[in-house]
Amino acid sequence: MITAQRLTRKFGRFLAVDAVDFEIPRGQVVGFLGPNGAGKTTTLRMICGYLRPTAGSVHVDGHDMAVSPRRGQRLIGYLPESAPVYAEMRVQEYLAFRARLFGVPRAARRKAIDRAMGQCSLVDVRRRPIHQLSKGYRQRVGLAAALVHEPPILVLDEPTSGLDPTQVRQVRALIRELAGSRTILLSTHNLAEVELTCDRILMFARGRLRASGTIDELRGAAAGESRYIVECDAADATAALKAIPGVGRVESAAPDGAWYRLTVIGENGAQDLREAIARVILKTGGSVRELHREAPTLERLFVRIVEETEPEGAAG
Amino acid sequence: MRAVATIAGREMRAYFLSPGGYVIGALYLLVNGWLFVRYVFNPGEVATLRPIFSFSMMAFMLICPAVTMRVVSEELRLGTIETLLTAPIRTADIIIGKYAASLGFLVLLLAPTLVFVIALEIYGRPDYGELLCGYLGVLLAGSVFLASGILASTLTSSQVVAYLITVFFWIIVLLATKGVLQTDLLPVAWQARVDDFVIAADPELRLRDFAIGLFDSGNFIYFGSLTIVLLIAAARSLETRRWS
Repeated sequence: MITAQRLTRKFGRFLAVDAVDFEIPRGQVVGFLGPNGAGKTTTLRMICGYLRPTAGSVHVDGHDMAVSPRRGQRLIGYLPESAPVYAEMRVQEYLAFRARLFGVPRAARRKAIDRAMGQCSLVDVRRRPIHQLSKGYRQRVGLAAALVHEPPILVLDEPTSGLDPTQVRQVRALIRELAGSRTILLSTHNLAEVELTCDRILMFARGRLRASGTIDELRGAAAGESRYIVECDAADATAALKAIPGVGRVESAAPDGAWYRLTVIGENGAQDLREAIARVILKTGGSVRELHREAPTLERLFVRIVEETEPEGAAG
Repeated sequence: MRAVATIAGREMRAYFLSPGGYVIGALYLLVNGWLFVRYVFNPGEVATLRPIFSFSMMAFMLICPAVTMRVVSEELRLGTIETLLTAPIRTADIIIGKYAASLGFLVLLLAPTLVFVIALEIYGRPDYGELLCGYLGVLLAGSVFLASGILASTLTSSQVVAYLITVFFWIIVLLATKGVLQTDLLPVAWQARVDDFVIAADPELRLRDFAIGLFDSGNFIYFGSLTIVLLIAAARSLETRRWS
């Protein structure tokens, strides 16, 4: 449905998006994940035809967005970051404006507007001027405006930023509800959001696509090494722990009184080391207060990717 | 066409929802009313609206930039431009729609002055050819000022800056055509040619023709083509935002 080939965008001399390739099949919910300034927004803007690529191309349903942007744009409902809307208009009026702009025929307009307002729970405020509405409602007006022409593709740039926890839950529920047959692209720097809503993830950092795959695939990539957290009172346990087959490294934090907090990192593919760790510590005469294995998380992969791409000297 | 009408409709509504439009309208009509009573509506006076036309043409130089300063700048500031530039419409449609709405606003501003025409008809024998020509001149002048204002508005997200760019541009044009250019410093062979050009470029001279009821197709082409060139420049300027 959406294909990017060597997609590149520069702002002056700054390389915002650097030769990114991806393909998004019909009907998937895809999360664009990355820290601020990673190039997510710029990529989404090129998909929607707001920005033209400096090099490379984006195709939306086969239409090159640099050659025939309007054909692609017809298929996309776009909610830009911070959901800009005309504040002086009334909700219903604004949606009618968007519907006309996207060529929804007059006969179908009324129904399309009612449906979009229903989906985004805006019926109660339909006659209110948008400037009177709270941030959460405005966000929903922006979302309804993106939906009003029933696009097969939805592009949502940080749809939950700036909302309170209840509103965040509502928007996420709405996204899941909308998914169905639609292709949805959403950007976020919130990992929980992607895990809850997306089928697939594209991880960006410093303008490049660093990882992509389903959530399980990425968890697998993160799980390459296993981590165990141990808290014990044996000062000399470190050397003994390192001797266990399968242990790669042992990191220790500053002791809290007599208690040492150690992180044991198992090598790739090592089996569960919990019993071995406990046995070794007890053998040295120490006692164990805590021992658990850290489940591999996307967060770890995310942090690793961000740290790896940090420029020299900027880390830490 | 659908896109142009949609954009124009929204813009028109925005004029009526903002207090600025009413302030401009009230002040403009107040001055016109005073001019009419003081200079036109007297026994023995010629039944003409020349004082009103002359005033309007110059007043529009200050009013039109205020009408258009918002149209693109505000969208750049609030980010709503992104929702327009990602809709399946041409960039030119956006500019033409906004221009059409601003011209519509100007027509509404002029409409109440038709009361003066009725008064002239009742108390005298106005020359309708001259009146028509005068209105045409006022609208053509307004059209050029509006187009230049829209161009300025695409250049900056600050309304104040957009207003100042437009007003100062026209002040410079007026000064340049009113003898601030010292052609006597140029080589003699060039002087006549530059003088010809300066006179041809002077909008004020051409507007004077319209105000006295003189319809010259050259004047019409001058304002018409200037409007088109400025609108094309505005569309290009907005379009380059996709590239920069």
